[in-house]
Amino acid sequence: MLYLQYFRDFSCYTTLLFSFGRGCRLKKRYVIIINILIAGLILFIIVKYANDRAVESNQSSLASFEKMTTTTEQIVANYLEDEQHLCDIWANYINGSAEAGAPMTVDEAISYIRKAKISPEISGHLIFIDDDSMAGISTTARSTDSEDYSVNYSNIKIFDDLEISNVEGVVNLTRAYTNPLNGVQSIAFLNNVKVLDNETGALRSGLLIRVVPVSRLEQKLVFLKGEYENVEIALVDWDGDYMIHGKSLKNSNFFEYFKSYNPMSAQEYNQVIDTIHTDVGSMHIYNYKDEDCVIAYTPLSGLDSWFLVSYIPASELMLNRSIDWLILGVVVVGLLILLHFNLIILLNFNRKLTAAAEASNQANEAKSYFLSTMSHDIRTPMNAIIGMNEMILRDSNNEEIRMYAENIRASGKTLLGIINDILDFSKIEAGKMEIIEVDYNFASLLNDIVNMVQRKADEKNLEFNLEIDENIPRCLRGDEIRIKQVIINILSNAVKYTNEGGVVFSIKSNKCEDEPDYVNLHVSVKDTGIGIRQEDLDKLFVAFERIDEKINRNIEGTGLGMAIAQSFLSMMGSTINVESEYGKGSEFYFDLKQKVVNQEPVGEYNVAYKHFLLEKEQYKVQFVAPDAKILVVDDNEINLKVFVNLLRDTRIQIDTALSGDACIDLYKRNHYDVIFLDHMMPNKDGIDTLKDMKACADTPNQNTPIICLTANAVIGMREKYINAGFDDYLTKPIDTALLEEMLIKYLDSDLVTRAEDIEPERKQRILVVNEDIDFLRKATSTLSERYDVAVAKSMEQAISFLHKHEVDLIVMDYRIYTDLADMERSQHE
Amino acid sequence: MNKQIKTMISTTFAAMLMLGLVGCGQTDAEVPNQSEDIGIQQEKVTDAFAPKYSSDTEYKLSVAGTYSNFESLESTIDRFYDYYPNGEIEYKYLDDYRNTISLALAGQEPPDIYVIQPWMYGDEQFSSLFDGAEVLSATELEINLYCIRPSVKWEMDDGEIRTLPVFATSYGMLVNMDIFEKEGLEVPTTFAELKAVCEQLKAAGYESPVMGANTTTTPGIGYAFSYPMFAKTVKDDRSVEADLNNLVPAAGEAMRPSLTRLKELVDNGCIDVDKCTEEIEDDYNAVILRFFEGDVPMMLCSGDVVSGTKKRESQSEAFIKKPFKYEFYIAPSGDDGGYYMDSVSILFSANKNSANMDMTNEFMRFLTSEKELGLMAAEKRLITPTKDYSLDEVYASLSDFPEERTVNFRDIEILDTAVKQYRAAAYAVINGDMTVDEAVEKYGSIPTD
Repeated sequence: MLYLQYFRDFSCYTTLLFSFGRGCRLKKRYVIIINILIAGLILFIIVKYANDRAVESNQSSLASFEKMTTTTEQIVANYLEDEQHLCDIWANYINGSAEAGAPMTVDEAISYIRKAKISPEISGHLIFIDDDSMAGISTTARSTDSEDYSVNYSNIKIFDDLEISNVEGVVNLTRAYTNPLNGVQSIAFLNNVKVLDNETGALRSGLLIRVVPVSRLEQKLVFLKGEYENVEIALVDWDGDYMIHGKSLKNSNFFEYFKSYNPMSAQEYNQVIDTIHTDVGSMHIYNYKDEDCVIAYTPLSGLDSWFLVSYIPASELMLNRSIDWLILGVVVVGLLILLHFNLIILLNFNRKLTAAAEASNQANEAKSYFLSTMSHDIRTPMNAIIGMNEMILRDSNNEEIRMYAENIRASGKTLLGIINDILDFSKIEAGKMEIIEVDYNFASLLNDIVNMVQRKADEKNLEFNLEIDENIPRCLRGDEIRIKQVIINILSNAVKYTNEGGVVFSIKSNKCEDEPDYVNLHVSVKDTGIGIRQEDLDKLFVAFERIDEKINRNIEGTGLGMAIAQSFLSMMGSTINVESEYGKGSEFYFDLKQKVVNQEPVGEYNVAYKHFLLEKEQYKVQFVAPDAKILVVDDNEINLKVFVNLLRDTRIQIDTALSGDACIDLYKRNHYDVIFLDHMMPNKDGIDTLKDMKACADTPNQNTPIICLTANAVIGMREKYINAGFDDYLTKPIDTALLEEMLIKYLDSDLVTRAEDIEPERKQRILVVNEDIDFLRKATSTLSERYDVAVAKSMEQAISFLHKHEVDLIVMDYRIYTDLADMERSQHE
Repeated sequence: MNKQIKTMISTTFAAMLMLGLVGCGQTDAEVPNQSEDIGIQQEKVTDAFAPKYSSDTEYKLSVAGTYSNFESLESTIDRFYDYYPNGEIEYKYLDDYRNTISLALAGQEPPDIYVIQPWMYGDEQFSSLFDGAEVLSATELEINLYCIRPSVKWEMDDGEIRTLPVFATSYGMLVNMDIFEKEGLEVPTTFAELKAVCEQLKAAGYESPVMGANTTTTPGIGYAFSYPMFAKTVKDDRSVEADLNNLVPAAGEAMRPSLTRLKELVDNGCIDVDKCTEEIEDDYNAVILRFFEGDVPMMLCSGDVVSGTKKRESQSEAFIKKPFKYEFYIAPSGDDGGYYMDSVSILFSANKNSANMDMTNEFMRFLTSEKELGLMAAEKRLITPTKDYSLDEVYASLSDFPEERTVNFRDIEILDTAVKQYRAAAYAVINGDMTVDEAVEKYGSIPTD
């Protein structure tokens, strides 16, 4: 139990740690990749979100900017219309006088305007245009001469594109020009007037000019600064010349400016100009610093060929984007820090994990060593026990002794079962367990199971009832050993955990409809045992888990049985189902599909079993090989004895050696047909001995097969020994049948005489004479195995038989003998 | 991350840190060496502009000028904004500048800075421009006038400087350097060399190695080639100056050497005047575009014409198709070399009545540096008024021009009427309308219209 406990804890720990460590180390790069992917995804989402928000924000900002532009346009247009209107009022008044037949003189007109205008910044100029002199009078004096009111526009070229002789009806606006009286940049609103020439008294055509400083218009746009810090408003004419413009718009012409800093084809350039001329909208342009800027444009309503252009650096409209990028930057830095932090943690973790994995590797090696040692240490004496016991069973006719031997055999098998469970689990864990299908007799399988369990049930005074479907085919194909192991595990458990009542073992069969060659076995084991709590059902198939450990402490077992059974069934495409009521009992059942080899139904189990028994012969040697000579090497003398005895009936000549060196001596000296060599021996183990043997050239055994005979039965050993140079591998305790099969395989066929070819020995004939029929029957049954038994129930019959046959022995009832003696005496007398 | 990458990153960070520390340790102005000349020291200290006022100073200035488009000034203003971003300097083109600048200075919105042209001096109409100008040489303004070439530095009668030359100009010729390189010729520096080069160029297929506008204007052939020689004659003997200004016929004799040399140019076949008349319609645009055709080795012109070349490079299909290198050279009219008329084109004055005098002077201080004036001139492609010609390679030939053959605008005081007589005489001579003798004889009465 200490072994088991140690193995249980140790196995779990090492297996988990090893697999965890290995897995984690393998996943290291994936963790980094996933980290990067997640970080990338987060960044992508942020960038996408920021972009979407920025686009929305930009669109919104752009729309607002365009709206501001159109609002400004309205303000500017209204202002210009108002100014024109005031100019028109002046002109209408002057012209009204003329139309009324009392035209004003130039002086009167100017005097009127001087009175009518309110703002001192604004002046009125009246010039004659009918003589192209473009000279006249102003409401305000020349800035350098307060007495001089004369004005002359002949050098101010602002009327070239205007029909100044007829400017009524619309806003007549000039470009920004220099007021010829004070040098102030101004714009002029025009109207035609009729006035009298002061000198000639003639009615002349004049042009009335309302001169407004550009700065006055610029003041109207100051409000924009509140909304946009760097917005600049420009008023441009059809050719792009500015009336007003901000500091960023260089050059004297907007279109020239645009062309200078936004290289494009002539066609594209013309498209842009057309767009500004005709549409209301916005576009991105580059300024003189190659910065992205936005202009919004709209025609000035009510004016021909004037446009308002708002200019703003794109960065001011896209502030939100900048903020998003800032957040993005912080997130990127954060993620990078997190990534590095994770990597540091991961590397640290991996270092520890590597150390743990190394420790786990060492532990795993220790586990393998433990398994190997345990297997070897237990199997070695087990070999002696089981082997010697087998000899007792073979040789003893004493019923009592045989019964004791049988018990030893059963216990030995139980112990071997426990060891095998552990080895099986180890194999399953390592993924090296395989299902090996063979043809098997169902009755035999059943018998082995029943024999195994019946005895245990009997010991506990439990009823063991069989409900075997008579239609189950007699011969099936499957992994007999594993099926038997599964059922025995379940049945053994049922018996173990049942104290009163009994166990019902039933097997039913159904033909597979789709596959006529297959049969579906429904195997059920129902007991009246302690049952299992619902919450414990999950633990049932977990390795090393024992339900109600405290209560069931006295029940032997590794806790592996059900886990192994479940694993085997899983490998065979089935699964164990459990229905249980705590305190009342449980039912374990599973379905198993098996290929049918012989459709003949097994019939009634008892009959079938008897039939099987009849068919089954008691142990008989499979062959004899009196000329064969084999060598067996083992450091354990008893094991050598067991080996020799097991092969006694084969009449093979067997030499034995107790060490590797002794083996080599014999190996060099004598020829052997097969050599069995133990592995674990003191001083020179089997592998080293093998190496020496292989290295030995001077030997008659160059081609002699060498078979490893070892108690080391853990997984991987077969491969290990084959790789070491052994021809085959046989485990202890020795299975006689396997041993004989192996010999048949490796011995020269000329040396082997198979059992069926052995001439039967003549049996000694015994004549049993007794009047009691039952006695005769019993004697026949008992002796006919080894003797040719003849019976006679009377002396007459006996004499009659003796006349015809020779006998080696006569067993006669004493009473008959005395009767015969009396009869002879009377004859003599 | 392997070791190499770590090393590279840490090295980069370390380098950046070092650069940052080094950068932090620098000052805007270099500390002068005590052993250096004081004048040089002042130049160096003041050449690197250090703002006097807070960068958030708000201001609004205006500059009034004669150019309808003054992009080179706007570029300079942009650089000024780097120091004072919260203000605005607006350039205003004044219609009829000659008549409106005085009015503007007296008006409601007087400009803070305005353009002066040399010819305005002495004219009563423009006296207010000079009277109202800030004294830029005032020590407290710390304006680095040392960077200005002495030849164009304009000290008033009281010894003060009220105007800052912004652009200089001259007269000479544009040289197609690619042709000279192709033909393996050196640009001639003397008249003899010119004749020889022209012979070779003609032999190479250039019908008229020298071309120019056949006009009576300053960029015209006669003026551009020979006036500097005439000016040198007057400079060398200023006694004739008064008679020239008074159109005394005898003073016409001063024209003889230069007109003779001009006639020589034509007679030697260096220039085909008829071809020039036929192919060059005006003295500005046509001159440039004809030069850009690429087959004219030397094109006589003024500095103002050269200033138009940059923009017209993109307007000339021939030049776009086959661009070439060109430079401005003084026409080699003399036996020992040409004569460099170092003339001022325009000047700036600061309005001493400016509403924002501090920032006006600050801008003038900013502008008065070899760098800013050089950049501005280079952008305008006029000659810088500073000593450093290097910012525009087109004018690189003027660097270190011999002082003895340089005539600056204050060396002579020839009135416009006298100049016009010379221009008319030169035109008549090259077109065969007059002989040199006739032109000399008729000085004072040569038709100028």
